[in-house]
Amino acid sequence: MSKVARRELFGTLATYRVIVFLAVTLVVSSIVVPTFFTVSTLGLTLDRAATIGIIAVGLTVLLIAGQIDLSSTAVLALSGIVAISFQGQIGSVPAAILGVLVGTVVGVVNGILVVKFQVNSLVATLAMMLSVRAIAHWVTNSQPISGVDVLFGLGVSRSIGGIFTFRSLLFLALILALSFWLTRTVAGRNLFAVGSNATAATASGVRTKRYLYGGFTFAGTCSGVAGVIQSLSVNTGSPVFGDTLIVVVVAAVVVGGTRIEGGRGSALGTLGGVLTLTALTIAMEYQSVSAYVQQVVTGTILILLILLDRTVSGNMRRTIRIGMLFRRIAAV
Amino acid sequence: MIDLSRSRTVETSRTPKIGGWIAVPVGILLIIAIGAVLSPRFLSISNFSNILLSMSIVGMIVVGMTFVFISGGMADLSVPATLATGAIIVLRAQPVLGTLGAVVVAVLASGLAGLVNGLLIGYAKANPIIVTLGVGTIVLGLAQAFVGGVIVYGTDPSTGDFVKSQIFGIPMIVVIFIIIAIIGHILLSRSTWGRWTYAVGSNYRATEASAVPVRNIKAGAFVLTAVLTGVSGVLLGLSLQSARPLIGTGYEFDAITAVVVGGVSLFGGFGSIPRAIGGLLFVQLLTNVLVLQGVPTPVQGLAKGILIAGAVAVDMYLRRKGGRS
Repeated sequence: MSKVARRELFGTLATYRVIVFLAVTLVVSSIVVPTFFTVSTLGLTLDRAATIGIIAVGLTVLLIAGQIDLSSTAVLALSGIVAISFQGQIGSVPAAILGVLVGTVVGVVNGILVVKFQVNSLVATLAMMLSVRAIAHWVTNSQPISGVDVLFGLGVSRSIGGIFTFRSLLFLALILALSFWLTRTVAGRNLFAVGSNATAATASGVRTKRYLYGGFTFAGTCSGVAGVIQSLSVNTGSPVFGDTLIVVVVAAVVVGGTRIEGGRGSALGTLGGVLTLTALTIAMEYQSVSAYVQQVVTGTILILLILLDRTVSGNMRRTIRIGMLFRRIAAV
Repeated sequence: MIDLSRSRTVETSRTPKIGGWIAVPVGILLIIAIGAVLSPRFLSISNFSNILLSMSIVGMIVVGMTFVFISGGMADLSVPATLATGAIIVLRAQPVLGTLGAVVVAVLASGLAGLVNGLLIGYAKANPIIVTLGVGTIVLGLAQAFVGGVIVYGTDPSTGDFVKSQIFGIPMIVVIFIIIAIIGHILLSRSTWGRWTYAVGSNYRATEASAVPVRNIKAGAFVLTAVLTGVSGVLLGLSLQSARPLIGTGYEFDAITAVVVGGVSLFGGFGSIPRAIGGLLFVQLLTNVLVLQGVPTPVQGLAKGILIAGAVAVDMYLRRKGGRS
């Protein structure tokens, strides 16, 4: 095998790593968790994946556009608190909508900071993460709160058709919609252009700023939805929800082949990444691996993948389809 | 990560920055005036010594973070993890290695985390914020697994007393901070390393072409931050005589707030240690006034978040304005 071919194969593997990762994780999980491939365990995995998955959908859009949102897990906490604490006063459904809107508002503020005030998105959303988390602690006095409408919350985690729940269906629907939007519509393709080279995209008539505002708003709304669903399912709002989750979410999206540098990524990849990390978590919990070691594992996965992306970035500027991957493996 | 704002042509004019020299001292005087009016306790000696003490612990981290900012390394988010490492290891290792040995091992362990950061950021050119977030998670996880997630208590209270002792009426921690700040300032403003740090931050490629070891400089800033954070953790652990894994939570934001409020540019190439410490003093005084007014603690977090976003937005605004004139 020539040097070039080997390099290309390596690059292709880096792009489609999510298939490899998911396969390995599923094999490992089925070994350590004997009942892993039963309907109930798979359904549980999907249900567990839904919360970080819905946040990951929003983050995928932003990362493709070359931006990031670190405030998402703080929004998760605040949206949940709002959805729970207003239940008694305005009813369960309006409270849930209000919770989602909190996420939307934070997303809009992120967009204004990044687009209008040109603050780097890492720093802008870091500042927002600090602020939103502070507000969550402030309004709750740092205490968890419980809702008055227990039955309403059961709806989101009740089983539908044996394997799905409301939130896991919502997550899958969002992934499919995003996948369609990214690959089949002009607007979706423009998003990649914005992330690859914003200046060139603007020069070609793409309304870059509008895409960025839209991206931040969408990501904020997704975090809001995830937060509301998470809090409703446990009937609790807490300012510490999602405290250590941001690394998991970023890792899930990056495992899925979306690049931190922008301009590359896919919705199905994110689905794979989210499932990989969730299956891994379930396998580790089954083996009673401590939460600290789980943190170490997640962090290590993130760092190794970013390192991988850096080392193959130079020669991987074009997109390769799955068919080409198999043809190339066959050629070796 | 693309950056909409990054343009080399606007960075030549320094005119708007002169205004920046006056802003922080004026702000500090203003806060002192407001504090004195609002609360009779504000101007007391004990209050100021409290401010100085808490400022010194963060201040050591600020010195390192200034290097990171100026070298264009954005920010180090692994601070809580490296601080906890320093505090936990020094208390754990003290009975085995003796005080001096324990301090050395603790600072080295923190420095090791910084080395990993530095290699990934300087050599692999990975995104600093994501790397330090990831490395921070790993290091904190290791620290928690190491002690089983519980609090470590000190075994030798006399070292705690030593750290809390005073030299000519000045607390030991403050003295150590002042020494570190002076050395850091001299390094940054007078040494070759310092000049190279500015050069790397203002124009990476040109500096690389000038045969400056750019990777080492970038990596060095993170190693320095981790070592200084380790020192800060050691002092905190020894003076409290206890350390829990989450002891360092929030210190990264305290340090970042101080540095950006001091007017050190997030985009590299501009700033100084005195500026950063000015920013630190401003933020500490502001926090103190808020505390004395009975404002709930979370509001301070909100204030810091707004200060960070606001200071960076102003920096961007001045840059664009400077480019036009």
